[in-house]
Amino acid sequence: MAEDAESILTNGPYNSRPRWKYLDNILNRPGPFTDPDWVCGEPALEGLSRAKILVIGAGGLGCEILKNLALSGFKDIHVIDMDTIDVSNLNRQFLFRHADVGKFKAEVAARFVEKRVKGVKITPYCGKIQDKDDDYYMQFAMIVCGLDSIEARRWINATLVGMVDENDPDSMKPLIDGGTEGFKGQARVIFPTMTSCIECQLDMHAPRAAVPLCTLATIPRQPQHCIEWAHIIAWEEERKDITLDNDDPEHITWLYQKALKRAQEFNIPGVTYSMTQGVVKNIIPAIASTNAIVAASCCNEAFKIASNTNPFLGFPGTDNYMMYTGDVSVYTYTFQHVKKADCPVCGNLAKDLQVNSNSTLQEFIESLAERPEAQLKKPTIRTEAKSLYYQSPPTLEKQTRPNLSKKLYELVSDGEEIAIQDPAFQIAFKFKLVFEN
Amino acid sequence: MTGTTPPPLHGPTSKEKKYDRQLRLWAASGQAALEQSHILLINSGPGVVGVETLKNLVLPGVGHFTILDSAIVTEADLGVNFFLEEEHLGGFRAEHSCTLLKELNPDVQGSYITEPTESFLSKPIALKPYTLILVTAPINPQLLSKLSANAATFQIPTFYIHCIGFYSQFSIHLPPAFPIVDTHPDPESTSDLRLLTPWPELSQFATEKTKGLQEMSHHDHGHVPYICLLLHYLEEWKSTHDGQVPQNYKDKTAFKASVAQGERRNNPEGGEENYDEAVAAVLKSLNPTSISSAVRDVFEAPECKSLTPETSGFWIIAHAMSIFYATHAVLPLPGSLPDMKAQSADYIQLQNVYKSKARHDLAEVLSTVRTLEKKLSRAVVIDEKEVEAFCKNAAHIKMVRGRPFHIVLPGETVRWGDRAKKAAQDLTDPESLILLYIAFLAIDTFIATHDVDGLGCAAKVAGGDDWESDTEEVEGIALKIIDGLINEAGTSIDEDEYSEIKSRAREYAQELVRAGGSELHNISALTGGLVAQEVIKVVTKQYIPVDNTCVFDGVRSKSSVLRF
Amino acid sequence: MLKIWSMKQKQQQDESAATGPKKKKVTAAQLRVQKDLSELSLGSTMKTNFPNPDDILNFTLTIEPDEGMYKGGRFNFSFAINQNFPHDPPKVKCTQKIYHPNIDLEGNVCLNILREDWKPVLNLNAVIVGLQFLFLEPNASDPLNKEAAEDLKSNREGFKRNVRSAMGGGSVKGQSYERVLK
Repeated sequence: MAEDAESILTNGPYNSRPRWKYLDNILNRPGPFTDPDWVCGEPALEGLSRAKILVIGAGGLGCEILKNLALSGFKDIHVIDMDTIDVSNLNRQFLFRHADVGKFKAEVAARFVEKRVKGVKITPYCGKIQDKDDDYYMQFAMIVCGLDSIEARRWINATLVGMVDENDPDSMKPLIDGGTEGFKGQARVIFPTMTSCIECQLDMHAPRAAVPLCTLATIPRQPQHCIEWAHIIAWEEERKDITLDNDDPEHITWLYQKALKRAQEFNIPGVTYSMTQGVVKNIIPAIASTNAIVAASCCNEAFKIASNTNPFLGFPGTDNYMMYTGDVSVYTYTFQHVKKADCPVCGNLAKDLQVNSNSTLQEFIESLAERPEAQLKKPTIRTEAKSLYYQSPPTLEKQTRPNLSKKLYELVSDGEEIAIQDPAFQIAFKFKLVFEN
Repeated sequence: MTGTTPPPLHGPTSKEKKYDRQLRLWAASGQAALEQSHILLINSGPGVVGVETLKNLVLPGVGHFTILDSAIVTEADLGVNFFLEEEHLGGFRAEHSCTLLKELNPDVQGSYITEPTESFLSKPIALKPYTLILVTAPINPQLLSKLSANAATFQIPTFYIHCIGFYSQFSIHLPPAFPIVDTHPDPESTSDLRLLTPWPELSQFATEKTKGLQEMSHHDHGHVPYICLLLHYLEEWKSTHDGQVPQNYKDKTAFKASVAQGERRNNPEGGEENYDEAVAAVLKSLNPTSISSAVRDVFEAPECKSLTPETSGFWIIAHAMSIFYATHAVLPLPGSLPDMKAQSADYIQLQNVYKSKARHDLAEVLSTVRTLEKKLSRAVVIDEKEVEAFCKNAAHIKMVRGRPFHIVLPGETVRWGDRAKKAAQDLTDPESLILLYIAFLAIDTFIATHDVDGLGCAAKVAGGDDWESDTEEVEGIALKIIDGLINEAGTSIDEDEYSEIKSRAREYAQELVRAGGSELHNISALTGGLVAQEVIKVVTKQYIPVDNTCVFDGVRSKSSVLRF
Repeated sequence: MLKIWSMKQKQQQDESAATGPKKKKVTAAQLRVQKDLSELSLGSTMKTNFPNPDDILNFTLTIEPDEGMYKGGRFNFSFAINQNFPHDPPKVKCTQKIYHPNIDLEGNVCLNILREDWKPVLNLNAVIVGLQFLFLEPNASDPLNKEAAEDLKSNREGFKRNVRSAMGGGSVKGQSYERVLK
């Protein structure tokens, strides 16, 4: 990477890189919307080639994102994905071939783009995002997500919000997130702690529609009701000892036949194998074109943030969210999603709190009641791993009461985060306990 | 351990497995249409947006694609085009991109032509084999004009695509009549229950199910389908309102309250779901059935009114449908029933009441179609399935009237025709991207007047070398186009607004010239996604395509759809 | 020597503090459950039990109805909350085999807010209130245990007797039930 930057510097700015002729037109010329303080040429170019960028997900969006970033001038790209390639991925995940089925997505995608776009380094990690800690995420300039799980999005969001250190500007990592469903999708940019975060925007994800259990059990009317019945009730009654594997064709076939039989009993038409698969696996339709649109929108923002060649989404006080719909003509809605003051993740950030590690939890709790900014009189306290003290329910109070006489160093480690809930406040307080002694 | 389950008789085929995620959208019929199509890309400039479009068509399994491009692979291509490699330097761009695209899907055929566009177009039937044509700018306007005219004679849908820097734009020229039956309307908007005009079987079913409503057990009372409840309370209402159904919002609110009063709250649940459903449906389900303006347009169309032996199946069915509408004042019943709280058997019975009425209506339309066919002595018989699909979606059919896109010829001014008024109005709308579209027209004008060798591919790009003076020129052209538009529309715009329009147009022109004809990969990929999606809609005749121009602004991440 | 050794240990500890086990942060789901627990009003008929007090996402709830036909019983429900809470509802199951129209023999519970009517604004208190209500007013329409529902509908007194006998560990209509009396 150092070599690269050097060659850029010594070769001079304009038309010296025939391969990047097109990109360099933009990097070397100011436009009507670029910031007046922006310096074109080398600094813009360098910002781009030095930026280490992380891609989370190497699926439908991830494949596109890797290609787009490599052809946007990023040189050092990392990618995380825990999944292996399935045959149903091939209609859109264009870095994979039939022969790759069963291999790790991150690995195959990284090798493919590295081979196709010379000079880019792509480092894959085949595993979970939760395997990695703050130190790992701290090395990146920004993070681009192409995920299908809300849970993973919430995790990385909370991690990035928690990493922000007021004294270190580099600790704030822009998070660019894309998502698609059929002809619909969205691209959004988050500056953790500065702008509305994934948790603030949780209501943008519609919860999965569910049918009452009793309808499934007694009055099914739709083919989907029969499939859900086979999935939730019949399997447990008849095959309790076998863990249901959504990817095992024998299991799906069993459910399909159960559902079909039940549908026949009730004269309900329409149960098919494909519908069974769709209901059981909660399959969301996915197509290449929507992925291309959303991934490119995310990478366009990443490029603008890294190069400053134009204003980007997510600048505090401006639009940060683009919604896209393509089934009826083409429609986009770009707007500012406002940060929520009571967001459990970014509403109240962890503050450093100096404590004497030899004081007891009881003494610590008493000191909280005297804190000027928030008098926490009946606090319930925990760390990620431990319940320190719970005011209620009574059984938990009793179970955690012995902790009150323990010394802080026995309960928490230096620098560990605690969360405090107090009935007087709607939102939790978070502190990083720093040992004075 | 239970024994292993035998495999189903009709398990998914390997193709169904590969295309599973898209078949859930456009089904086997859409897939078949896609697989029968042959797309021609006439490529130029950096040539990325066209190739990215093809990528998004090869993956879902388009039948055949052909790239027409005489350009040679240069170093600059490798920094922006994903479907070229170092070893291809000096070779034909069309050939190598074609090879790498074909790798994405072994079921797709790909070809390439390296002949210059001009000589390719000199053969009058050159375009005939293609289902749809994609043309990317820059292209010599005379060639584009010829191509557009040729494609129109064969009624081949043609896309004209621009992608420069952070901006892109494409226009679609569809045939003069482009009907869509399978528009995939929002399921919420599709239920047509006919509660104000029930047919005898439905009324009879409702009467049966609501007999002795007061005396019913909690269980039975809580399971009367809401449709029956509404029909029951409507009868009550009519008996106290001179036989009239609720007429206006006030009536409906009163009616809603009378339904809500019937709900029992002294049961273990403290309420009844079926009554809640009935109350919630009053405002949206008790509307007199009327047809949408889109359907009216179809019925009023000259193609629908005067049939000839050459008339396509769509218009014959539409004609039969208009006869049905003239007779019954409603469209054929679609026959679908939303899910609702009910006993299984009651629901299935009610579903059958709707289905059998739908079959009855279909039979009537079908018999009209057959009579028309005989009268016109048509050779080919319209498939019953086609008539059925039409009946099911009759309320949501849509017809797009294709129109040619702007082609700027040297020395000619841009004409806006019947769209001038609307376009002039859009000039003052800050949300509209019409000024960006005008900036693209200015770029086309620049190219038309600076053509280097007349071949189209080697046109001089705005901002290629002397970007500052080119900026000034393109700004000037854009302002002229704006003046021309205001003039043609005959509207007056006040001073402040006019100077605001001018300064915004200048900014778009500056940003476009800044790129010097470059494509940014992200914008090409995004636009390639949009174009591919529209190609799929046009080829499958499903969903509703852009009519007819889409503009994307990658600086602000916004888009506009405009009609010219 | 001993001193050097302890210095070495100290050094290792310091090193592991610097590079070693990462300090995890309290998750959004934990924060929310913590808040919900502090707002729980259990009254005298309900009790929670945390097999591992550090894990507040998994616990059991015991309900001892003091009125209605299930009076005198002690009913246990397992609560399993995932990291996607409150986007996902808690998974609640009855851990005993009981005779109840809205609870099947596998312990599945038919309660609207556990499935179709769950919203992230609902809290754990709403869920336990709903569970408690099931014992006061078992609901015969749309049941999970069809036999029990038919029984309740056709002969309320007979149903009451069957509930008593099932709670005592007897069998009803050939199906044996768990003894759940206090």
